[in-house]
Amino acid sequence: MNFKSQRVAYPYFVVALLLFALQLVMGLYLAFNYFYTVPQAVVDVFPFSTARAMHTNLLVLWLLLGFMGATYYAIPEETQSELAWPKVAWAQLVLLTGTGVAALVGFLFGWTQGRPLLEIPSALDVLVVIGALMFLANVGVTILKARRFTATQGTLLAGLVFLAVMYLFGMPFYENLAIDWYYWWWVIHLWVEGAWELVTAALMAFMMIQLTGVDRKVVEKWLYVELGLFLFTGLAGTGHHYYWIAAPKYWLWVGGAFSALEPLPIAFMLIDTWRSMKDSKRPQPRLTWVYVIGMAVLHFVGAGLFGFAHTLPQINYYTHGSQVTVSHGHLAFFGAYVLLNLSFFYFAIPRLKGFADGRYDERGGHWGFWLTSSAVVGMSLAMAVAGVLQTYLERVQGQPYIVAQSPMRFWMLIVFLHGLLVLAGALLIIKHLLTLRPAPARSGA
Amino acid sequence: MSERAAKLIFWVGTLSSLALFLGLTWDTHRSFAALTHADKLDANVVAGKHVFENHNCNDCHTILGFGGYYAPDLTRAYKRLGEDAVRLRLASPEKAFASSYRKMPQQHLTPVEIDRLVDFLRWVGGIDNHDWPPQDSDTRWKASTRRLVGGAAMSPGAALVSQEACLACHALGNAGEHRGPRLEYIATRRDADWIARYLADPQALTPGSTMPKFDNLSEGQRQAIAEFVASLAEGRTP
Repeated sequence: MNFKSQRVAYPYFVVALLLFALQLVMGLYLAFNYFYTVPQAVVDVFPFSTARAMHTNLLVLWLLLGFMGATYYAIPEETQSELAWPKVAWAQLVLLTGTGVAALVGFLFGWTQGRPLLEIPSALDVLVVIGALMFLANVGVTILKARRFTATQGTLLAGLVFLAVMYLFGMPFYENLAIDWYYWWWVIHLWVEGAWELVTAALMAFMMIQLTGVDRKVVEKWLYVELGLFLFTGLAGTGHHYYWIAAPKYWLWVGGAFSALEPLPIAFMLIDTWRSMKDSKRPQPRLTWVYVIGMAVLHFVGAGLFGFAHTLPQINYYTHGSQVTVSHGHLAFFGAYVLLNLSFFYFAIPRLKGFADGRYDERGGHWGFWLTSSAVVGMSLAMAVAGVLQTYLERVQGQPYIVAQSPMRFWMLIVFLHGLLVLAGALLIIKHLLTLRPAPARSGA
Repeated sequence: MSERAAKLIFWVGTLSSLALFLGLTWDTHRSFAALTHADKLDANVVAGKHVFENHNCNDCHTILGFGGYYAPDLTRAYKRLGEDAVRLRLASPEKAFASSYRKMPQQHLTPVEIDRLVDFLRWVGGIDNHDWPPQDSDTRWKASTRRLVGGAAMSPGAALVSQEACLACHALGNAGEHRGPRLEYIATRRDADWIARYLADPQALTPGSTMPKFDNLSEGQRQAIAEFVASLAEGRTP
């Protein structure tokens, strides 16, 4: 840490980690509902739908708070100047966390916009927009005042503006359900396969430059190529969500062709990260690389391979809206965005705490990574088995939904058991990150 | 690769994909009215969509395949279940799913809200979305029913029991649910002709029954189901 105002990143990380734990608890309750018959009296008061709204909104909230904290850490380094308004950054955290908590409590009492992932009611949407504007203004003014422009911070800012603008498309009420979903995907798809990938690429480039000492020019040259591939495949690739919404048939061709190419930029990022690690001129804690490479690998498997498996319309006709989607969604979000945030936390927190060379005591941290990651992989595989059963029994054989769900319940129990391990691993990670200590002095050094 | 070439890849890749995407978005908007039968999308349907959102239905159910995956897809629910069965589920889920292993919350909908939701589901059921989902497709899996019958792998009545999802409420062997009576025992009390008439209008023969009407089937199809159900009871006593 070279700038005092970078400190504001830390409370963002803390809030994000606490919300992460709460998100996992809600997820366990959802899995529990799949294999255990929750009595009518409980369902009437706290239905699956409410728990799901909480699970997904917590996910989005903590990932975004993590991105924002990471940005507040990175921007002073990139501009070589203090943040324009550190106090506004604090106020923004209070506002967004307060809005999030109000939304979660509101869900319990049925206060909802009722659209998956975008359940936050319009009144609270206004507060989210105010928070986003505070954030973008703070970052934008810092960059303008410093007058030092880099491709990395340009990408980061572009990704964040793109992210904020897309949120607006999720706010209105659409009368026509097909048009509603058309623009719902402008938020969700263009976030996770557009704006968030930009943020990811920028934060990865930032970390690579700092971690490895590889020449900025080289890192940023590959950043352009990576972004070009991400946006080329991701923008028109939105079409893979338009197959069955009452949109014209050409989306089957466009969505299928472009989204089939979506694994390419992720593979590119994986190779690029691997090469940077090999070319690294600076020794780093082993755990830092475990996270960075773990993220690149599971990003590729979860988003790239699991996504590709059911993106072609001939397959998607049978798998669409089944547990196959759930399986892909969990591994992709974990691999791409959960691990990105955790990688960045492991990068930034030792530096924020002023440990020499950003080195820290890794003991305990490795367990957290391997337990959580292997449990999420196992969970996604169990969801995939349930999804294949559903696809065959309900979609191909035509069995009634509830009859087809019956043999899936065992696999959702397996999902739940893996979920317990995910929670245990995540708690280890959270505890390790929040109580990070300097590296023990090396003997004989 | 030079930095210049890298920047060229970025701009050409991004702008070409963006231009295609925005162009098709414009064209798609011209097609939505016809594909979604927007002429039938009246104020009642819109009111139904509001009810659908206010009660957060979409975080358990999918519709057009999007949403929670915890409950059946609603795209063709109106056609699949018929209006009676939809109304029963909306008004009294605790009765409709009394013996199911998965419950639906009692949301205390007003009669007007139920009417509007039915309007909404009726409209959604009619949109042209390339015949998705497969399980409700007349041309896809009902074709597999025809193949089973054609290959004599199943009697026509058994095929219809499968096609009309009777086992979503009734049990047969170790399959199906226990909301309605077990299919094997029905004909220990009733004959095939009675069952066929009952399928056409359950309320006429048993007022207060929760069984939906199957008046969408032809008389011959109802008779085939009735004869299949009757055959299950042979040799059984009530």
